[in-house]
Amino acid sequence: MRRIEIVEHCLKRSLLSRRRWLLSPVLVLLMNTATSWAADKIVKIDVFPPTPYDGYIIYESLAVFWLFIIGLIVIIRMKLREIERIQELGVENEDKDAPMLR
Amino acid sequence: MKLSYSLITRRTFLNTLFGGWLVAFFSGTFYALMKFAFPTLGKEPDFVVLNKKDFIGLANNSIKRFPWGGTVGLYYTKADGSVIALKGVCSHMDCNVDYKPAEKRFYCACHQGWFDENGKNVAGPPPKPLEIFVISEEGEKLIIAKKGVKVELPKA
Amino acid sequence: MNCPRLKDWLDERYDWEGIKKLAKSKLIPEHRYDLWYYTGGITLFLFILQFMTGMLMALYYVPHIDFAHKSIIEIVTKLNMGWFFRSLHHWGSQLCVAFLFIHLFGTLLLKSYRKPREMVWVTGFILLGISIFFGLSGYLLLWDERAFAATRVATGGAGAFPVIGWFIKAFLRGSMDVTGDTLLRFYAFHVAILPIITLCLVGLHLILVQYHGMSVPLSLEKEKPREAPFFPNVFYKDLMIWLVVMGVLVTLTVLLPPEINPKADPLAPPPENIKPEWYFLFLLETLKLFPGEILGLNGETIAILLVAGAILFFFLIPFFDRKSSRGEKSPLFTWIGVIYLLYFLTMTAVGYLS
Repeated sequence: MRRIEIVEHCLKRSLLSRRRWLLSPVLVLLMNTATSWAADKIVKIDVFPPTPYDGYIIYESLAVFWLFIIGLIVIIRMKLREIERIQELGVENEDKDAPMLR
Repeated sequence: MKLSYSLITRRTFLNTLFGGWLVAFFSGTFYALMKFAFPTLGKEPDFVVLNKKDFIGLANNSIKRFPWGGTVGLYYTKADGSVIALKGVCSHMDCNVDYKPAEKRFYCACHQGWFDENGKNVAGPPPKPLEIFVISEEGEKLIIAKKGVKVELPKA
Repeated sequence: MNCPRLKDWLDERYDWEGIKKLAKSKLIPEHRYDLWYYTGGITLFLFILQFMTGMLMALYYVPHIDFAHKSIIEIVTKLNMGWFFRSLHHWGSQLCVAFLFIHLFGTLLLKSYRKPREMVWVTGFILLGISIFFGLSGYLLLWDERAFAATRVATGGAGAFPVIGWFIKAFLRGSMDVTGDTLLRFYAFHVAILPIITLCLVGLHLILVQYHGMSVPLSLEKEKPREAPFFPNVFYKDLMIWLVVMGVLVTLTVLLPPEINPKADPLAPPPENIKPEWYFLFLLETLKLFPGEILGLNGETIAILLVAGAILFFFLIPFFDRKSSRGEKSPLFTWIGVIYLLYFLTMTAVGYLS
């Protein structure tokens, strides 16, 4: 019980402080330790790179990736618009009576 | 200065944009794939730590093999009692070399390559000498390192 | 891309007119329900992604009970971006099966299975079974507590089939219980046998779709909707949708990587609240509905027979639905389709929430 009181006290303090951004890794750590108290020290296998340095790189890469995709979609839409414009003009189809060049 | 005509056609512009973006996209993907597909497990170590007591009292003109990452290293006690450590892998096509005490040379059976006591390639196809390591001691441990590597032991 | 020399090189050796004409002639109808046309393509795209990530992981995975779990931990912790490709494979399989079901129920309710497209439905249905088996076999390869217990239940359940159940169970398991033989067998299925069969069937399924063209829903047939050429118009739309799906997939991969539970122990009791993958839940809940004994006969056997019967009927719907094959509206089968869909959704939800 004493441990939980200490945790609550720290949580309250950290929520009010400016260092709120520290909260989520702290919470994750607390949750991990909490489950390990209960679960007889089962080794937690990292399915995601554990260091925050790697974590930030990955989230930043995700953002860049989305920018890539959105850019690609925009370009494809531009191409599609252009093709539909040409098709509506009717100039796309081959002239059936055009003589062969050779 | 405003041009009255366009320098490129719409088609070229769009196709270049599309192609260029795709190239960037796929080169990123390809890079990630290559990093995955090429193994990072079992790369060559910068140094290995061994127990000193395993390597004392060895006979002259003999070798003792020790593990160097995934390959073999040789702890070589020369005929005059001096000691060097070298990588036991032939510089020709990576076969393991053997020591012939009678001739005091290292022999690679794959293509009949020979190296002398200092690891220099003296006969056969090997193009380069055997790699020599630096031996140092730290308390109870024997440390064998690549040349030029600063050995820092973890504080465990 | 403008490479006239390459084009000339190819033109001097091969006659492309036939293929070009075929490509130009592929037209996709545009109407109120044309979004459903994209579901098959999305499923195909995800399947291809699964093949690629699967091949990558096969470079490092070891299908032996002493090394399987460890090799996956090594992939996830030691290799560059190993965690990413494993997570991608996991989420790819979830999304692939989800879109597979969307595609299935879409074609069911829009009656795309009607004459002349019955064989498209048949090949597609077999592909459904194969995909489910892909999911089942792949799940075991982790060799953790959950996968082990789930496979025991699944193969044991197959054993309850009357007459041939013992054979199915022994064939799947490779021995009396779920052992290293089972792991090896599931690996062979997952990595070699099923992919070959899938390639052949998907090839057949796609060829048939090209042959028949896209089916237009019965209610819109008379209006003769506008048609857009597949190359390049609909192809680009397909590409955009695939990009969005890939974006969603990668987001899920990065934000929610799947866990690795402790290694399986055949002697230990199964972990708490064990559940199979979500696409099996409706089967499990159905089996749970039946009491142990009905009129003196084994309840489980009756349940399995009924479920098998329902699936068989589902499979044969194109042949039962005479009205739609004549081109008439068939509300009875629409209702049957809706009931199947609602049952599937409800039972899956029940299984998930309980």
